[in-house]
Amino acid sequence: MSKNEVGDGSTMIKITDLEKFYRTEEVETIALNKLSIEIKTGEFVAIMGPSGCGKSTLLNILGMLDDPDEGSYVFNGIEVAHFTERKRADLRKHNIGFVFQSFNLIDELTVFENVELPLIYTGVPSAERVKRVEEVLDKMQIMHRRNHYPQQLSGGQQQRVAIARAVVNKPKLILADEPTGNLDSSNGNDVMELLTDLNEQGTTIIMVTHSEHDARYSHRIIRLLDGQSVMENIMI
Amino acid sequence: MIFNYIKIAWRNLVKQKLFSLINITGLAVGLAVCMMIMMYVTHESSYDRFHKNAERIFNPHVGFKMGGTSVNMAFMSYAAADIMKQKQPAVADYNRTMAYFKPVVASNPEKPDSKYSESKLLFADANFFNFFSFKLVSGNASTVLNRPFTVVLSEDMSKKYFGDENPIGKLITLKTDSAFTYQVTGVAQNNPSNSSIEFNFVTSNLSLLTMKEAKLYTGAKEISFGNFSVYLLLNHASDTVALRRSLDLMAKHDKTFDNVHYYLAALPDSHLKSNFGDSSNTKYLKIFPLVAILILLLALVNYMSLSTARATLRAKEVGVRKVAGASRKTIATQFYVESAMFATISFVLGYLLCYAFKPWFLNVLQLKIDDTFLYSPTVLILLFALLILTILIAGSYPSLVLSAFKPVATLKGKMGKSTGGVVVRKVFTTLQFAISVGLIICGIVIDRQLYYFRHVDTGVSRENVVMIPVHNTFGNNYLAFRQDVKSLSGIESAATSHYPMFKGYDMNQFTGKTKDENIMLASLLGDDQYIKTLGLKWKYAPAAGEKLAGTDRIVINEAAIEKLHLPANPIGSYAQSGNQKVRVIGVLKNFNFSSLQSDISGMVLNVEPDQYLFSPRDGCNLYARIKPYTNIPTLLQKMEAIYKKYDKDTPFEYTFMDDAFNAQYKAEDRLASIFSVFTYITIILATLGLFGLAAFTIEQRTKEIGIRKVLGASLVSINTLLSRDFLVLVVLSITIASPIAWWAMHKWLEGFAYRITISWWMFAVAGLAAIITAIVTVSYHAIKAGIANPVDSLRSE
Ligand SMILES: Nc1ncnc2c1ncn2[C@@H]1O[C@H](COP(=O)(O)OP(=O)(O)O)[C@@H](O)[C@H]1O
Ligand SMILES: [Mg+2]
Repeated sequence: MSKNEVGDGSTMIKITDLEKFYRTEEVETIALNKLSIEIKTGEFVAIMGPSGCGKSTLLNILGMLDDPDEGSYVFNGIEVAHFTERKRADLRKHNIGFVFQSFNLIDELTVFENVELPLIYTGVPSAERVKRVEEVLDKMQIMHRRNHYPQQLSGGQQQRVAIARAVVNKPKLILADEPTGNLDSSNGNDVMELLTDLNEQGTTIIMVTHSEHDARYSHRIIRLLDGQSVMENIMI
Repeated sequence: MIFNYIKIAWRNLVKQKLFSLINITGLAVGLAVCMMIMMYVTHESSYDRFHKNAERIFNPHVGFKMGGTSVNMAFMSYAAADIMKQKQPAVADYNRTMAYFKPVVASNPEKPDSKYSESKLLFADANFFNFFSFKLVSGNASTVLNRPFTVVLSEDMSKKYFGDENPIGKLITLKTDSAFTYQVTGVAQNNPSNSSIEFNFVTSNLSLLTMKEAKLYTGAKEISFGNFSVYLLLNHASDTVALRRSLDLMAKHDKTFDNVHYYLAALPDSHLKSNFGDSSNTKYLKIFPLVAILILLLALVNYMSLSTARATLRAKEVGVRKVAGASRKTIATQFYVESAMFATISFVLGYLLCYAFKPWFLNVLQLKIDDTFLYSPTVLILLFALLILTILIAGSYPSLVLSAFKPVATLKGKMGKSTGGVVVRKVFTTLQFAISVGLIICGIVIDRQLYYFRHVDTGVSRENVVMIPVHNTFGNNYLAFRQDVKSLSGIESAATSHYPMFKGYDMNQFTGKTKDENIMLASLLGDDQYIKTLGLKWKYAPAAGEKLAGTDRIVINEAAIEKLHLPANPIGSYAQSGNQKVRVIGVLKNFNFSSLQSDISGMVLNVEPDQYLFSPRDGCNLYARIKPYTNIPTLLQKMEAIYKKYDKDTPFEYTFMDDAFNAQYKAEDRLASIFSVFTYITIILATLGLFGLAAFTIEQRTKEIGIRKVLGASLVSINTLLSRDFLVLVVLSITIASPIAWWAMHKWLEGFAYRITISWWMFAVAGLAAIITAIVTVSYHAIKAGIANPVDSLRSE
């Protein structure tokens, strides 16, 4: 499959003139400044830019963890910019998986339990959960670690658990915020291979990264500066 | 360095306002309760210790068997002390006192119009002010009482009757059986609140002996029981053993009673050990220190639990300090200083609280504590000890936990969940809730038992009956008084009784099957309206036309039938009382004529003919049943007017019978009200503790909560998750507290013949209260954490 043939070509995400401000007592920060982006189903997009330019803010809004102050956000044809928290949560848990730089695993839960969580919250019955968690742990090659706790794993293994958790619900979209930021290059490459595999199986991926190397795995790079898109590179 | 610690401690206090507030007030409240109880208990156990010779002064008590019942008398005949001193070389000196048994009317002859009824007239031997250590403001201790009809006034009385004048040499009239005029020879400081000897007026026994009524009080010419408190000053405190032995030897010759023997009670012990008079304050004295310790423990545990919880937030500070070269000891010292500062602030606040609530506390206990006592060295030393103890304990655990933090781990911000004594905090929380639940259960049981006392059918219709004591000063007018009261429109019926109901009865001795079998029965003395006025029910009514009154006949209760070995229906049977045969003319159904703490015993009702009702020594009591819907205050005014017609000097007093009934449970009532306050305080403390702990624990878990929310957790599931851990602890504490509370209350109830059964719902209510409190407290934080935006909690790395 060529990198140019992307998904079925339908639009998954369309944001228009999106704005996000942070107000503290002294200053008002404009994190996103009239940003407009469109992402097609099945795309693998990398977002790059200097620290503080609004990459995480964008990802949070795309992931419906946060709502924008101005502008429109259409997800799969539905305007979600002004959804209630409850509706957003509902849409999110069935459609979106997250991968963070710092893994964000729960220390008190085992690998298995961490991966199981999204299934619990979407109401998957217990037997089905076991099957699906084992399936995905197998795929991520961490089945032998299923009863370990996160602290007992290496960074690369932890990130694989985090990815397993992100995909166990078979989301249509995975949002990854610097997924290799805390990993050495070998582990980082493994993670990138995993994401590429997922993308090839049809999952849309939006990934924030500082690494040009990692960005090359994607189809397209969106470069942000001060909350605005300054350039787009299509990877060939 | 210390100054630097204090500065940092202060900054921390200000920075974490909510935490500091919870922590300081929690400890302060606990300390306040502890201080209050400490003052109370110290006061109770300091009775009579201020006398210079306290350790060498003893009260002889006499015990004997009377008709199978053991009797213990603390009062001796007038002659007893003298004989003891003559025959016992161990006795160096003695003093006899008699507190006049009723209020007297006092007046200053220069102002004959202002008369007051005064209590606490004390007759004593002339050496009173040398024998005891009551301080004279004026007058010579050796001579103030050496003539008859001289009197020493308390400062209060001096002020009341003579104002700012010097009363020495002036006259004052005190009306006992008749009015006598006394010359004031001295003024004494008011007796301390921790003195079992109380006085407003002290006059010598010589005055008493000249009165007509004296022969009623002086008693036998030998060592015997009587009306005087006898205080023996022994040469050595160790002489008691020998003295007791020789007193017992002397008692062998006493043939009037069986088994006569003597006790010697040390003066400082007499207050707590005596079973005479109002023991309602000493009855539960032992419980209070326990409660104080529990509450202090709770407050300290609270404090430590919160401090260590919060301390984990400061792990990084500890790490940095350690890397910068601080030793574990320096860090321990730092946190100790901090704890000490918190504890000291709490202590000061606690003292202020204690001071503010002291009047209320003393009022509930119906207690007076001199202010001078509160600043006495004993109390100050105890307070200081409490402060030191608080600082030591409050500082120890947190400083131990905190100083143990490993710098590498803490600097990475990785406070593993194993640090900060999670287990210990769980134990603390469980302990706190166990104490609260236990106290709630006890509170419910006590409350139900008291309710039961008040409302159980005792066979006496005690509502709307007013009891009026009529004193010997009434002379021959009692029957006229009774007639006048009866004819009032609001009065349904009126009866006479020797004693006020629930406040006393005599014992009558009967002879059983053999001459040697003595049967003692409670004896009530009344007139022929007694049964009707009290609504007593007949088991076997007297034959029609039978007169109730007469010394040859008795009415008994059901319980007495068996006691007297009478046939099942004993009407017409005879019993032998002394050398008189009395005929049983009626049997009353059992009713409670004394406290519900004891079973109904055998009783005889001696219905006296009218001419014998009024006792020249004690007077008698009028019971008047008031018709329903009567305006009681007006009726009482009318009764007072009638009363004054016959006796204008003695104040008119009245008691409602149901009040008198309830007053029997004064000790229990006080226990209940103090208990409920303690229970609220423990609940508040436990809740504060849980509040702080939940705030902290949840704060520690914000990242986890954020992750869960990102993964789709709902508010409900987050609340459940967070509350569950705490609920497990609360349920555990209920499990621990229930059997202990059950056991304690079971023991307490055993002291009552009439008692409720402890039932499951009492535990359920207490448990539920704890669970609800816990859920509300934890949910507050859980929901707050649950609605927070997870982006914020996950961003922080
Ligand atoms: N919760 C917040 N409160 C205040 N300012 C914020 C908050 N989150 C982000 N910002 C600000 O918004 C800008 C964009 O932040 P972010 O999206 O995290 O940048 P990036 O991920 O590109 O480094 C920054 O200037 C940052 O300081
Ligand atoms: Mg970022």
